[in-house]
Amino acid sequence: MTVDQLPPAPAGSPPPARPGAGRTLIRGLGQLLITAGVVVLLFVVYEIWVTDLFGAQKQAAATEEVDEAWAAAAQTQAPQTDTVVVTDPAQLVTDPRERTPTYQTLTGQGFAKISIPAFGADYQFTIVEGTSDDDLYVGPGHYPESQMPGEQGNFAVAGHRVSKGSPFNDLGLLNSCDSVIIETQDDWFVYRVLPMPEEIPTWSSTAPTRPLCADVSVLPSPYEQTVGREITLPSDYAQILPVPGISDATVPADAQRLITLTTCHPQFSAAERMIVHGVLTKSYAKAPGFLPPEMGEA
Amino acid sequence: MYVWIWRHLPGPSAVKAVQCLVLFLAVVALLFFVVFPWAEPWMPFNSVSVDAG
Repeated sequence: MTVDQLPPAPAGSPPPARPGAGRTLIRGLGQLLITAGVVVLLFVVYEIWVTDLFGAQKQAAATEEVDEAWAAAAQTQAPQTDTVVVTDPAQLVTDPRERTPTYQTLTGQGFAKISIPAFGADYQFTIVEGTSDDDLYVGPGHYPESQMPGEQGNFAVAGHRVSKGSPFNDLGLLNSCDSVIIETQDDWFVYRVLPMPEEIPTWSSTAPTRPLCADVSVLPSPYEQTVGREITLPSDYAQILPVPGISDATVPADAQRLITLTTCHPQFSAAERMIVHGVLTKSYAKAPGFLPPEMGEA
Repeated sequence: MYVWIWRHLPGPSAVKAVQCLVLFLAVVALLFFVVFPWAEPWMPFNSVSVDAG
């Protein structure tokens, strides 16, 4: 920046000579570098704020769409004459084995909502089908080849950690037994984060002291590699298969009902992936005005 | 470069300043709506899924 500054001319002396070619070149180069710096700063502004704005718009549109679809489905399924408000959660508890998805999914469109009370009572995103860049701009995306919410196997979801709403920014802060609640057209599915690797040896003694962990146990064989959170390689595709870590896409007859969340790791990098696994602990049928009690665990 | 632009803008200094602002905003819009969305897929933090690749 100092290349433009000429030494102060003594009073009365003739005006300084016209800048030479070298000076013009250096000045041009300096301006180019400053311009490049401003462009890089603008890119940071774009990634941190502007993509959040664009993503929030897409997310709001997807949420509106799924709300309308659910409202329409509720109309056709049960043309109710009177609304019975059920407030006792025990009456709505369902057996996930008897719940099969009655909805269709379309790539890029929302079909479920994810809530994580540990991230705040207002943490909710609509999950879309697909994990392409366009899908993930809208919100967390379901791996289409993985199972659906509540099913046996693995309901796997990818989400951005940086930019575009950053839905999975805080996955590293989840503790074991924190609830991850999935709402679909007809059901609430409450998953809980599995024990962390360092907690597994003492789980049988520590879990009974934590009320949230009542239904969470260390998974039996063949789930030795399925833990609450792990850092792995981007090529570790087996993490989202029915039995995480085992390269087989078929769902075993006695398979657990899991959820898997994936995002990038470390923050701002693509070197690794952060994986969070949870297990289904409860499910409820949806009813007007009913929210699962787990939603209050903020 | 900027000196050249300043010299070639018509009108008095105040008018030139307004034109500079308009030019700057136009460049920012071009970056935000065309260049950055195009460059984004190559950013490392954009990769959040696992795949067999």
